[in-house]
Amino acid sequence: MIQEYEEKELKKKSIDELTHLFMDIINKQNFILIEGIEYLIEENYEHFKKNMTFVIETTTEVQVKKVFESKIFTSKLMFSKADRLKLFNKINDIKNIAEYMANRMLVYRIIFPDNEFKLRVSRILESLKFISNDLATSVNLVGTDLKKAHDICEEIKEERRKMRKLEFQLIQRLYHYDMDYLSRTFLYLKDMVGDIMMLADHIKNFSEYIQFLAVKYLIFK
Amino acid sequence: MADGIGQIIIIVLIVLAIALAFSIGANDETLSALVGTGVIKFRMALIIGGLAIGGGMISTSGGFVAKTVGSDILGEGLVYTTSMLLTVLISSILWLVIGSFAGIPLSSTHSLIGSVVGVVITYSIFQGGVDPQTAFNWEKLGEVILSWFISPISGLLVTYLIFKIITRVYLKQLKGLNQIETSEQYFKWILLVAVIFAEIWVGANSGEALGILYGLLDNGSIEVDQYFLYAIICGIFAFLGIYIAARYVIKNLASQMIDSRPSEGLVIQTSSAIILMIATLLSLPISHSHVIVFCIIGLNLAQKKEVDTKGLGRMAIYWVLTFPIAAIMAGLLYFGLILIGFI
Repeated sequence: MIQEYEEKELKKKSIDELTHLFMDIINKQNFILIEGIEYLIEENYEHFKKNMTFVIETTTEVQVKKVFESKIFTSKLMFSKADRLKLFNKINDIKNIAEYMANRMLVYRIIFPDNEFKLRVSRILESLKFISNDLATSVNLVGTDLKKAHDICEEIKEERRKMRKLEFQLIQRLYHYDMDYLSRTFLYLKDMVGDIMMLADHIKNFSEYIQFLAVKYLIFK
Repeated sequence: MADGIGQIIIIVLIVLAIALAFSIGANDETLSALVGTGVIKFRMALIIGGLAIGGGMISTSGGFVAKTVGSDILGEGLVYTTSMLLTVLISSILWLVIGSFAGIPLSSTHSLIGSVVGVVITYSIFQGGVDPQTAFNWEKLGEVILSWFISPISGLLVTYLIFKIITRVYLKQLKGLNQIETSEQYFKWILLVAVIFAEIWVGANSGEALGILYGLLDNGSIEVDQYFLYAIICGIFAFLGIYIAARYVIKNLASQMIDSRPSEGLVIQTSSAIILMIATLLSLPISHSHVIVFCIIGLNLAQKKEVDTKGLGRMAIYWVLTFPIAAIMAGLLYFGLILIGFI
């Protein structure tokens, strides 16, 4: 699903190019995770399991990470080195959260309470796709157009605000089902919504960091 | 005073002047901006900086600031005695040591000139039979004191202007981090030139050491060729000060500057060097640290960043107080030496 890279090929890339590549890989993994949750909604358990397993087991990004880390220490970009490293680590955190989510989702085969619940989760997932994609665009623009990256991050924050409303409504709906609050189904759904919120919050915080970089480095007209 | 003791005092003064030159190098942090950017290797930076400061000191030893401190500041016909020079040195060093222990940032230039004023006033009243009003070249002294106020403010304005011009002409056009990083790579090399330029004028404007030697030359304690020999030794010791002792301060400051942009360092160093150059060419000893602080403020204002006005106010009080306190201390010390019959 994701292209593998030769170490030699990676070593030729610049710090900025490695960051782009890493972000694109993580974004694709995010999409596979979201697609997996959509399969779960459709009760296509086979594909769901395949996607989640892929998110857990894939190591394509590790190669890029290793080359980046070896390059950044010898890099001559003294003044922006720390920020470049932080940016990269924040991308890596997305992978960690996605992996954690995938592991948790595989522990139990869930059956959704009703179609309305499914629909609302799908809407949240659409927003998650949107902000994940926007974040990838924004990270890739850090090297070439900080102002545009800053503006995209503003859109991410706006979308996250909308998402939060949907998430609270979903939680409210969940608590109003006639369901045992200690049941595996309830706990699973509650954790699933919580995990989606965690990933979305990380993306929002990340976008704020990009805005911080824009303010730090850019002299606005 | 016996000739033997007089000779010893002259030797002590020469040794102290050389030690002072060493401490000027040892306290210099101009190189930290350069080391922080990693443009050249640390040892190479120390050698280049040391050569620049030593070169600056030697090349202007024939007059300029050294002449102002060692001769021009005094009234017509008045020359320093060796005891006066010794008291000036002891007093200014004492005040700087007290300031260091109290954690107060002081200017060695202000302290030295303050001590000169205190000693000369005491001398003229109690010993020399000179009218204190004619003991000084008031015009020159006035120029020196005025320059202490004008130089930091000029530093602020020059930095503000240079940064605004660079921003309008170039920095504003940079869009992404890649472009900024590439341009900063070029700024690093220009910064190297600016730091060498700044170091030359730091050395040239550090009149404390050479001023004392010029005083000895003026009162006939040493010959012209001896003066230039000692000036060269002072230059070498300023180099050694940077190479041996300043490395710790520079390393420490440089590690804090790793995050700062070479273009910002360039603006600050260029501005302070311009101010130091003008002051040196006008033979005015000014405080390098005061100029640098105001250059940083100028940059912050240009970047619309916050300025620590409270800290600045506290610093300004110490700066203003340094001159009168050093004068009073030196005056009392000299008076004490007269009382005990040392002079």
